[in-house]
Amino acid sequence: MTPLLVAEHLARVYRVGGEEVRALDGVSFEIRRGEWVAVVGQSGSGKSTLMNILGCLDTPSSGRYAIDGADVAGLSDNELADLRNKEIGFVFQTFQLLPRATALANVELPLVYRGVSRRERRELAEAALVSVGLGQRTRHRPNELSGGQRQRVAIARALVGEPSLLLADEPTGNLDSATGDEIVRLFGELHARGHTILLVTHEPRLAARCPRAIRLSDGRVVADGPGREVAALGVTDAVSA
Amino acid sequence: MRRGITRALAELSEGVRIALSTLLGNRLRSFLTTLGIVIGVMTVIAIVAIVQGLNQSFEAQVANLGTNSLYVQKWKWVMLESEWYLLRNRKPITLAEFRAVERESRLATAVSPMVFARATVARGGVEMSGVTVAGVGTGYLESAGGAVSAGRFLVESDVELDRPVAVLGAEVVDVLFPGIAPEVVLGQRIVVAGRPFAVVGLLARKGRFLGMNMDKRLLMPFGTFGRIFGMKRSISIAAAAPPGKVTDLEDELTGILRRARAVPPGKADDFSINRQEQLLKIYEGITGALYGVAIGVGLITLVVGGIGIMNIMMVSVHERTREIGLRRALGARKRTILAQFMLEASMVAVLGGAVGTALGLAVAQFIALATPLAAAVTPSAVALGLGFSAAVGILFGSWPAWRAANLDPVEALRYE
Repeated sequence: MTPLLVAEHLARVYRVGGEEVRALDGVSFEIRRGEWVAVVGQSGSGKSTLMNILGCLDTPSSGRYAIDGADVAGLSDNELADLRNKEIGFVFQTFQLLPRATALANVELPLVYRGVSRRERRELAEAALVSVGLGQRTRHRPNELSGGQRQRVAIARALVGEPSLLLADEPTGNLDSATGDEIVRLFGELHARGHTILLVTHEPRLAARCPRAIRLSDGRVVADGPGREVAALGVTDAVSA
Repeated sequence: MRRGITRALAELSEGVRIALSTLLGNRLRSFLTTLGIVIGVMTVIAIVAIVQGLNQSFEAQVANLGTNSLYVQKWKWVMLESEWYLLRNRKPITLAEFRAVERESRLATAVSPMVFARATVARGGVEMSGVTVAGVGTGYLESAGGAVSAGRFLVESDVELDRPVAVLGAEVVDVLFPGIAPEVVLGQRIVVAGRPFAVVGLLARKGRFLGMNMDKRLLMPFGTFGRIFGMKRSISIAAAAPPGKVTDLEDELTGILRRARAVPPGKADDFSINRQEQLLKIYEGITGALYGVAIGVGLITLVVGGIGIMNIMMVSVHERTREIGLRRALGARKRTILAQFMLEASMVAVLGGAVGTALGLAVAQFIALATPLAAAVTPSAVALGLGFSAAVGILFGSWPAWRAANLDPVEALRYE
């Protein structure tokens, strides 16, 4: 079976004031369907750049990236938008909910860009909210919800289109540790249900709970293995540094 | 295909929903944004309605002169001040020249001399001063326009025998015979400039023309007029042309009059042939200029309003940078974002245009009620107002919308 994601020698070069910055410098890995993988690294290690490329928000300067066997290189802007819509479910650190829309309307949003009828959108969005434990809060607006609830709405939004990949960028970064744990538990449940999850974080504690973690440093993969081991590596790194 | 349509519809209704919630969420801001458009459209609609109203009433009035009528006169209707000095030395137009026209014209379907004076008309104890008294021939109604509502017009024998008979304008009847039935008025005696006259006919009501009261008049045979007021003054000759032959008749009359007045070849005519077209032409010149001014003012205001919309849309794009990034991440295409902001800009503009159109029509109606000016509301004016404002919204909304659509999703999502 082909891996869900294949990254081969991914590089991303930015030009900052005439100087080349290699945010990613030859990153390769594969992620199979149903895996739960953390991408860890300190800020500036290339985590965000990698996530943008994996999420099809950005394209690599060189190297190959394929989702489900299909090469992403050379896709038009419209095709990338459709790919994001169908294959990727984003979860952001800052939730990124529309403040004036209800939880339900927020969750429906990806389906709007897929041409799903109004009634079907409503049903799917309600089901997604129930699946993250927010069945009673569908008519609330973001400012009427707690931080944890907001992130649950965002996760429901990421799930509603049944994407191949959940891409979470520091999903607990704006939450207190208890609420953060709840969200991590939710990811655990989603993993158990068979979702493929890629979680970008700088917290070794969080990476330790993932079956697999990839450590980035200066745009290169420096470790790829069981979450606990890779996370522990990070701690010693931090100590030795 | 079907999916594409559903998607387009879903995106459209989402766009309308977003636009509405933004507009309603920033009511004051939306109102101020669209104020320029409101004022611009209001001005244009009000002026256009009034100009169209004036045009309609003027055309109706000028039609009184008869579309196929020519008037041979000493004076030109439309002349420069400098021309006045030249024209005042012209010989008067005489009855002999009318006779020449009557005898020689093959084209004219009717001709009549016309000569005017002001006089006091009385009946019993009631006096009416300042009545326009006209001495005319039997061809007057056909050549100069007008109709008899009761009784008869002047006939050959009235004119040949210089009979003391009169045909009365509607307002003269109102004053001298208030509330009396037309059949009873006929045959009654009245006094015109101190002489007794018999009423033989009543003219249909005509209203005002260029500020003149067309109903405050009395017609009598021109010979009778001469006996009372003298024959020295210059007369006018009215002539009616068959349809489509007005210019031919003008040429024919020019020839007859040059011969009758012995104008040497090579010399300019020493008389004028006037027609309603000349009045319409200057009038259209005036209202055309007014239109130009209205459209100029309106366009400037609309541009100013458009810049206001562009400005607020820029602010809106700026404020919603992260939302744009999010929508792009969730699968919105560039053109979806573009359409969303264009829709918002045109909705603000069209809303302003609708309010402006309503206010403009209200202003025009108010002016029509409060002043003698007329106002005409035409569907084209409404379409103009709405169309213009939609165009402004699309035109000035496109740059901010283009910027929104081309934001880098990564940058936009990170934007604080």
